Amino acid sequence: MDRTKQNDILRRARAIADKASFVADDFAHALFPRTDVPFNDRMRSNAQQYLRSVVRNVERRICEIATGDLGVSQEMLLSVGQGDDGQSYALLDHGGLLNRPEIVQHLFVKTQQSELAARLLQKISQEDLESTLTRHLDHEDPVVAKAAMGLLVAQSKTTGSAGEIACSLVDLPPEIVYAIAWPVTAALARLSGSPGVRLQQAAERLLAEHDESAGVARKAERLAQLLEQAEMQQKIAPHPMKDGLSLFVARLARQSGLTSDQIVTFTAEPDMARFIVVLRAADYPVQEALSIYAALDSGDNILTAATYGELDRDRCLTLVTRWAAPDAYQNADRILSRDYLGEAEK
Amino acid sequence: MTAARKLAEPVRGQVDADGLLLTADPLLMRLHLRCGGKEAGPLAVPELAALCRLSRRLGMNLSRPVQASDDDSRIEMWVETRLASPEKDQPLSLSIIDWKEYPHDENHKNDPARDRDFDRLEGRGAIRTDAALRIIAQQMPGKAIRNFDAIGQSLLDIYDVIPPSAHAKLLEAVAERQPVRNQRLREKTGAQALFLLQGQPLIDKAGLFAGYRFTATPDDSVERQEPEKADTKGAAGKLISDSLFGMQLGPALRQPLGKIIANAETISSKLEGPLRGDYASYAKDIASAGRHLLDLVNDLSDLEAIERPEFTVAGDDIDLIDLAHRAAGLLAVKAADHQIRLELPDKEQKLPASGEFRRSLQILVNLIGNAIRYSPDGSVIKLHVSSEPGFAQISVSDQGAGIAAEDQERIFEKFERLGRSGDGGSGLGLFISRRLARAMGGSLTVESAADEGSTFTLSLPERTKP
Repeated sequence: MDRTKQNDILRRARAIADKASFVADDFAHALFPRTDVPFNDRMRSNAQQYLRSVVRNVERRICEIATGDLGVSQEMLLSVGQGDDGQSYALLDHGGLLNRPEIVQHLFVKTQQSELAARLLQKISQEDLESTLTRHLDHEDPVVAKAAMGLLVAQSKTTGSAGEIACSLVDLPPEIVYAIAWPVTAALARLSGSPGVRLQQAAERLLAEHDESAGVARKAERLAQLLEQAEMQQKIAPHPMKDGLSLFVARLARQSGLTSDQIVTFTAEPDMARFIVVLRAADYPVQEALSIYAALDSGDNILTAATYGELDRDRCLTLVTRWAAPDAYQNADRILSRDYLGEAEK
Repeated sequence: MTAARKLAEPVRGQVDADGLLLTADPLLMRLHLRCGGKEAGPLAVPELAALCRLSRRLGMNLSRPVQASDDDSRIEMWVETRLASPEKDQPLSLSIIDWKEYPHDENHKNDPARDRDFDRLEGRGAIRTDAALRIIAQQMPGKAIRNFDAIGQSLLDIYDVIPPSAHAKLLEAVAERQPVRNQRLREKTGAQALFLLQGQPLIDKAGLFAGYRFTATPDDSVERQEPEKADTKGAAGKLISDSLFGMQLGPALRQPLGKIIANAETISSKLEGPLRGDYASYAKDIASAGRHLLDLVNDLSDLEAIERPEFTVAGDDIDLIDLAHRAAGLLAVKAADHQIRLELPDKEQKLPASGEFRRSLQILVNLIGNAIRYSPDGSVIKLHVSSEPGFAQISVSDQGAGIAAEDQERIFEKFERLGRSGDGGSGLGLFISRRLARAMGGSLTVESAADEGSTFTLSLPERTKP
């Protein structure tokens, strides 16, 4: 066996030994999932692909700034800045730096959004879907029309090819850019041997130039806010096939006091139970709710008018109000309730 | 009912690294002050402050919807933060590109007119001043002429601040635009009545300090000592004076009862944090029992007052239709709790009568309150007006169980409950109301039949229309 191969085996053996204690954890998660949310292979694959793209985009932009604006001339940084394959993903993945709750949650939401978009496209064509937004371009309030135009433009820039989650730096939430930019910077410094300070400056510039208002999510939220204000007198209920997915989710989130991410997450849960409760709490008429459900459902479940109609709206409102509370509060509340139950059982 | 503001220009502000609001356009400054902030103090709008902190922590420009609230309204904004440079100590710019105000839910809204009616019903006065503490409106109990004279004069020219309150403390609170609490004042002239003053600063729409709204509660704690001294001879050997409730027990009980109710309500509404459901329910029971006791104290004070030989009522010029609307306004929340609809006479009409404003309102509140208490949920209570020669009449009809003929006179007797208990009544309301109606030269009667509802009619001497 040549020396290189020996070294490779030794390196891998050391790496595997480092992680050996987590094997049982991983297997336990697979055997005993703590939620009922199903994850299929397509979702896993999409999520990994998307995360690679995010890291690659962030790393490329940092290298561009470092080599272009700050005059760092280092071969690896130059090549990454010019569009060559990224270098830091493997290192970050190995170090577990991408397995952070906010990043994973974002991955899940993006993946589920992609699932929903695919389901929607089975019922309406991409062209029809895009044309739905143009109806707001003629809105009598120029501010609304302008916001609709902004959303259209933002969406057109980030539409990916079928089966792939498009990744655009502009579309990333600031918290995710921040959570990824700094580990990437550290990885680049280590891999390139460049002075960390220059790369840190590049990362700071990347963060400072990020404009949250340009992303699809915020554009959709802004349009949702304006539409709601404009339609106080004559309410037109949101519908994914009339508004498109982003705007529909933003409008429903606005009506319910939840976040867009929560709405998307609810659609991934078994029977979309929480999603139905949100529709009932927002007082969607039966036919409208059934139609929305059918548009977003994978086809496995059926919601009947009787089931929906029998849901007590006040109880739905109470539940939605509870879900709208800050996460930290909800978590603490759950833990404290368990304690109380424990006390009661004693 | 929204106050939309089409912003030609964004509302701007600057916040420094320590979170201090360095500059702000008037709309933002008004919101900041109403949220308890001070000029050049820490940004006091929690949602905006949180956004600034996040923007600074991430070193990123954010663009997000923000909802904030002040006493009057909920404000929806779209806010963009802009960091001047990566330098962390540079101010952060706030740019609010959308600003829309929604008044708070009608049921919870503090309608100034409704507040004033509550003040008058409970014998409190109200004073509104400008920023220089000059009185621009005053409504003190039973002092119609002097109310008018006081307008335009400085608050401190009309009233003396008396110990244990301090003149300087009042001025200090005013200078800092802080709420004024429990300041004792004495009229400089006339009856030299004593009042306990509470005040809230007012901020106008441009965000500027515009004066105060004070409520003035007659302060019995000093008065009650004076009659004691004066009556030493008369009351010798008498353990209970002839004004036990009005002068002694009433004021002494109201304050602790008020605290019990307020604290129990705070606990039950979980304002201070989550609480086990059954504890919140106990707190509600405590508040409810406290309110019942307070009502009883008020009834007993009234009972004592009307049974005194020297009891008199003022002959104000009143309008029964206006009073009906005010009384219904005061009980609107209670009626809504039981899905009861109050059907009122046309507000445009007038039915002038002669009687004391506060006492007539008290009678109507009692009649409508009883109707709500004894009507089935979802029913209708009708108020209608009529005239008889020399009298103006207003009737309150409910769809309750009705009152048997033999009980119709008994219900006006003292402590008569017709065997009912646990519904929050004291058995004094109708007795007091009838005595008050008679003291004003009128009457209070009932027509009813079992299972057909009841109609109570208040008649007061007619006043010729102005």
